[in-house]
Amino acid sequence: METLDQLFVLLKEGILQIAEAFLPSGLLPFVSILVSITAIAIFAPAVMMYLTWLERKVIGRMQNRYGPNRVGKFGLLQPIADGIKMLTKEDIVPAKADRFGHFLAPVAVVVPSLLLFSVLPFGRNMIAADLEIGLLFFLAISSVGTLAIFIGGWGSRNKFSLLGAMRALAQMVSYEVPLVLSIVTVVMMVGSLSTMDIVEAQSGWNGFRWFIFTPWGFFGFLIFFIGSVAEVNRTPFDIPEGESEIVAGFHTEYSGMKFALFYMAEFLGAFAFAALGATLFFGGWQGPFLPSWLWFGLKTFVLVFVIIWLRGTFPRLRVDQLMGYAWKFLLPMALVNILAAGVWYYLSQPLASFASAALLVASYLLLSRLSPTGTRLEKRTYRYAE
Amino acid sequence: MIPLSWYLTLAAVLFTIGLYGVLARKNAVIVLMGIEIMMNAANLNLIVFSRFLPQTRLSAQVFSLFGITIAAAEVAVGLALVIAIFKMMKTIEVEKIEQLKG
Amino acid sequence: MGLFFVVLSLMTLLGALGAMLLKNLVHCAIGLVLFFIGIAGFYLLLQAEFIAAVQILIYVGAVATLILFAVMLTENVIGETTLKGLGRNRWAALILSLVVGGVLIKAIGHQTFSAAQVAERVSTREIGRSLLTTYVLPFEVISILLVAAMIGAIVIAMERNKRMGE
Repeated sequence: METLDQLFVLLKEGILQIAEAFLPSGLLPFVSILVSITAIAIFAPAVMMYLTWLERKVIGRMQNRYGPNRVGKFGLLQPIADGIKMLTKEDIVPAKADRFGHFLAPVAVVVPSLLLFSVLPFGRNMIAADLEIGLLFFLAISSVGTLAIFIGGWGSRNKFSLLGAMRALAQMVSYEVPLVLSIVTVVMMVGSLSTMDIVEAQSGWNGFRWFIFTPWGFFGFLIFFIGSVAEVNRTPFDIPEGESEIVAGFHTEYSGMKFALFYMAEFLGAFAFAALGATLFFGGWQGPFLPSWLWFGLKTFVLVFVIIWLRGTFPRLRVDQLMGYAWKFLLPMALVNILAAGVWYYLSQPLASFASAALLVASYLLLSRLSPTGTRLEKRTYRYAE
Repeated sequence: MIPLSWYLTLAAVLFTIGLYGVLARKNAVIVLMGIEIMMNAANLNLIVFSRFLPQTRLSAQVFSLFGITIAAAEVAVGLALVIAIFKMMKTIEVEKIEQLKG
Repeated sequence: MGLFFVVLSLMTLLGALGAMLLKNLVHCAIGLVLFFIGIAGFYLLLQAEFIAAVQILIYVGAVATLILFAVMLTENVIGETTLKGLGRNRWAALILSLVVGGVLIKAIGHQTFSAAQVAERVSTREIGRSLLTTYVLPFEVISILLVAAMIGAIVIAMERNKRMGE
C-alpha cells in the first residue's frame, strides 16, 4: 500500500538514479525539474481532452440526450477526433488584425494555465515545486491570463471581440478580489502560504479537521468556488464567450489550433482551481484507504463535475448582475468571513462555532436583503398590441 | 555570484530608458508607462540592497512593498486624469495640451 | 546563475526599450508586461520571493490591465496614430537621459561596496509581522492613500453630467 501510494515518487527517483549514472551531477536538479515538467505536460492536455469528453456527455445526459457516442465506445475517442480536426483546420488571420498580438494571445493564455499545476500537491510528497509562497504564486499567475485575453480580443480588430475582451477583463478582475479574500482566511488559519503546509494542517481526526467542516471554511469554500468559476469564464459567468450573445466573444477570430489553445486554457484553469479548492478546503490528498493521488483525483473530479453541472443548469448572468454580485455581495461576505474566522479562533470551542456561524448567516441575510438588484418581484403588466 | 555593482548598473540603465521615454514621447499614457519603469528600477535597487546589506534586510523589502503600492495608486489616478483630459480635448498628446501656457 | 542574470537582463532591457520606442501602443504595453515579468525574475534571483509574487500580482495583474484599458479608451480617433511617437524634443531628451545615466553609472563605479555581504532570506512571516508592529503607521497611511486614490480616480473619470448634477 505504501509503494502504491508513493508510486510516482519512486518512479521519479528511479529515473533520477538512471540519469545519475550517465550525466554529471551538476545537471541533476535540471533533470529532476525536467521529469516533473514532462509529467505535467503529459498529464494536463490528457486531462483537458477527457474533461471535454466528460462535459459533453454530462451535459448531454442533463439535456436528456446521449452525448457523443459514435467515435469509439461511449465516445471515448471523441477528443482525439476533435484534436485532429483542430490541428488540420485552416488558420485564418483577419486582414487588419494586429499580427503580433493575434499570435501571442493564445500562447500567453495557455502558459499561465499550465504553470498553475506546479504548486498543486497531487499526493503525499508529489508536488512539482514546493514554494514557500505557493498559494500567492498561484494567484499571481492566474491574474496574468486575464491580460492575454484582452490582448487577444483587441488584436482581432473586431467589435464583438473587443466587447467580449473588455467584459472578460472586468469580470476577471472583479471576481479576483473575493477569491483572494476567501483564500486569505485559510492562510490566516494555517499560518503559511505553502500548499503542502495547508494540507498538513488539515490532518487528523479522520477527516473532521478539513476546513469545509468549519463555519468560515464552508462559506469560504462557497465564495472560493463561485469566484473560481467566474475566473475561468465558465457558465453562468461566460459573458465573455457568450455563445448566443456576441458570436464567440474574444475568441471569435481564432480558428484551428489557436482556438484549441484558448479552449485548453479554460479547461486547465477549471481543473486547476478545482484542485486548489480540494487542497484548501477538502484536505488535499488525505483519506483512509486509497492511495493519496487517487483521493486527490477523486476530490478534484467531484468539484469539476459540479462545475460542469452548473453549466448545464444555470442561465447566463447579465453583465450588470455579474458585477453587482461580485462587488455588493461576495466582497462583503468575504470580509465577514475573515472576521468570523478570527472569532472562531479566539473563542473556546462549542461557542466559537456557533458564534461564527451566527455571524455569517446574519450577514448573509442582511446582504441579500440590502442588495437592490432584482428582488422586486411585482405583478407583471402585459401590454398588448392594439 | 553576481556582484552588487552589476545589479546597480542594470537598474541605472533601466532608469535611463524610462527617463528617455518620459521626456521624449508624445502620448500621455506612454509617459505614465515610463514613470512606472523608473519606479520599478528604483525598487530593484532597493531589493538589491536588501540582499547585500544585512542591516537593511527587512526594511528595504518593506520599503519596496510600499513603493509598489504607491505606484499602483498613482497610475490609477494618473490614468483617470488622462481619460478625463481625453474626454475634454479629444487628444492626449502632451504637446497639444497647453492651455496653461503663457 | 550568471546565465539567468544575462537572460533576464536581456529580457528586461528589451521590454523597457520596446515600451518606450515602439509606435503601436498595444505593442508598447506588451513590452511593459515583459519588463515587469523580467523585474519579478530579478526579485526571484535575489531571493525576495514574496516581493516577486506581489510584483506580478499587482503590476502585471492590475497596473498593466489599467494601462491597456487607458490605451484602448483614448485611441486617437482623428487618425494620427501613424505619426512618429516621439516629440519635438527627442534629441534633447536623449542627451539628458544619457547624462543622467552616465552620472549614475559613474557614481556606482566609484564605490567599492566593501560592506556588501549576502544577507539571509526574508520570510513572508517576518514581513507580515513587521508590517503590523514596526511599520504599522505607514501601513495605515497607505490604506488611507489607497482609499483616497480610488475615490479620486472614480470622481475624476466620471461622466460630466453626473458631476454637474451634484
